[in-house]
Amino acid sequence: MLEVRNLSVAYGKHMALQDVSIDMAEGEALVILGANGAGKSTLLKSVAGMVRPAAGASIEMLGQSLIGMPQHEVVETGIAVVPEGRGVFAALTVRENLLLGAYPRRARAQEAANLDKVLTLFPRLAERRRQTVSTMSGGEQQMVAIGRALMSSPRLLMLDEPSLGLAPVLVGELFQSLAAIRQSGVGLLIVEQNVKISLSIADRGYLLEAGRIVGQGTAETLANDPAVQNAFLGVAAHT
Amino acid sequence: MLMATLVGGLVLGGTYALVAMGLTIQYGIARTMNLAYGETMIAASFAAYLIHNTLGVSPVLGLAIIAPAGFVFGWLVYGILLRPLVARSKNIASLEINSILATFGLLFVIQGVMLVVFGGNYISYNYLNFGIEVLGVRVAANRLLVLFLAFVIGGGLFLLLTRTRWGTALRAVAVNPAAAPLVGIDANRAARFAFALGGALAASGGVVVSMYQTFTASSGVVFTMKALIVVIMGGVGNLAGALCAGLILGLSETLVATYISPGLTMAAVYIIFLGILLWRPSGLFGKVGK
Repeated sequence: MLEVRNLSVAYGKHMALQDVSIDMAEGEALVILGANGAGKSTLLKSVAGMVRPAAGASIEMLGQSLIGMPQHEVVETGIAVVPEGRGVFAALTVRENLLLGAYPRRARAQEAANLDKVLTLFPRLAERRRQTVSTMSGGEQQMVAIGRALMSSPRLLMLDEPSLGLAPVLVGELFQSLAAIRQSGVGLLIVEQNVKISLSIADRGYLLEAGRIVGQGTAETLANDPAVQNAFLGVAAHT
Repeated sequence: MLMATLVGGLVLGGTYALVAMGLTIQYGIARTMNLAYGETMIAASFAAYLIHNTLGVSPVLGLAIIAPAGFVFGWLVYGILLRPLVARSKNIASLEINSILATFGLLFVIQGVMLVVFGGNYISYNYLNFGIEVLGVRVAANRLLVLFLAFVIGGGLFLLLTRTRWGTALRAVAVNPAAAPLVGIDANRAARFAFALGGALAASGGVVVSMYQTFTASSGVVFTMKALIVVIMGGVGNLAGALCAGLILGLSETLVATYISPGLTMAAVYIIFLGILLWRPSGLFGKVGK
């Protein structure tokens, strides 16, 4: 479904990503692991059209090239993004945020059906439909961000550090929801520092270090790989 | 006496609110401070005057041509003058400064053209200039019409922005421009649309003002200034705030002019303005830290 080839990204002279290639099948759950500054977010942002890759890269979604595509058109190819910091419209209501998720042309016909699905997945959002998002807790805002992304009928949902800033109990709930989304057939591409829990719902993973892919494999292999533990300097052992 | 003053204040306040709505949209959504806003308005006032006096067409009908013309004008100004600034500005702050400088220049261009074409005299025309009895006081019919138009246009805009998908998308850009592309909104296009919409409102405001006030080619600055006060007092980008602040401004101006002294209206306006900002630094409906 998603095919990334020879992706390099430079911020000035600093190479954030070098020659990265990943593949993802339809409906697969993939996790990108790596320490802070390893280039995980840059990888996700390149696919989302938020940063420009160096020449020679190719990124294809369902056979359609994403290179040079304006950011607001990427969502029309079936990719929905929950960015780091969530990117919700804080001054608008929950309902307005969700309905804006159906703004892409591809999603308008299914707006009502998708809204039903999202409210079934996150019943709390149904209760708080009219609430302004800025007055909600971090966990609830994360639900809004994910719900809004699902409103666009995505084939692939990309999440950048979704567990960041959430209490452990909420992280557990969040990943349960993500597992349910996966069950419904939507592919997941998750960038995470929380190794253990993200591997628990993933099929496969890639390990990034200093902008290069240094390891890959099934979730099970990676969970037992000492290189993964090392990459996090023992952080993984605690989580 | 009090009743007449209140009605007069409402008419003036309604005009201010209408005028400020366009500016708050341009500033809040398109992130451009348009100093030529008042000149756009006065150009529309002249257009209404010409249509009324030479063709004998009612300015209300003229609105049907002048408001869309304002939209097109805003569309072109954004595309030609402001788009290059947006492209080269590193951040919102530098875009604001660049847009202030560019539209400051535009102000003199539009004003200069109007001075050459129409001269510097005060202009007015007679339209619905007869009294109607309302709540025990006689009010000029044109003022009632102005109040009605301000209400209809302002209310229509409010519904457009809050009840339609397109309007909600515009507000989303105002709230979080960086996140707008995530839901497929082209933020640049939205900004251009918002600026054009502001142009249509400026033109409507100009037509409305010309129905009951005298104006000159250099009146624009006063309206830009008052609109700016209303926008900041109400909270940038907030329509309900613009409505409230516009009414407060209009009512207090009229009350001060009637009961204290016409010479003190501006002083009173600034005292209220300062008071509100000391009490709520981001305006009546503004969010702190946004």
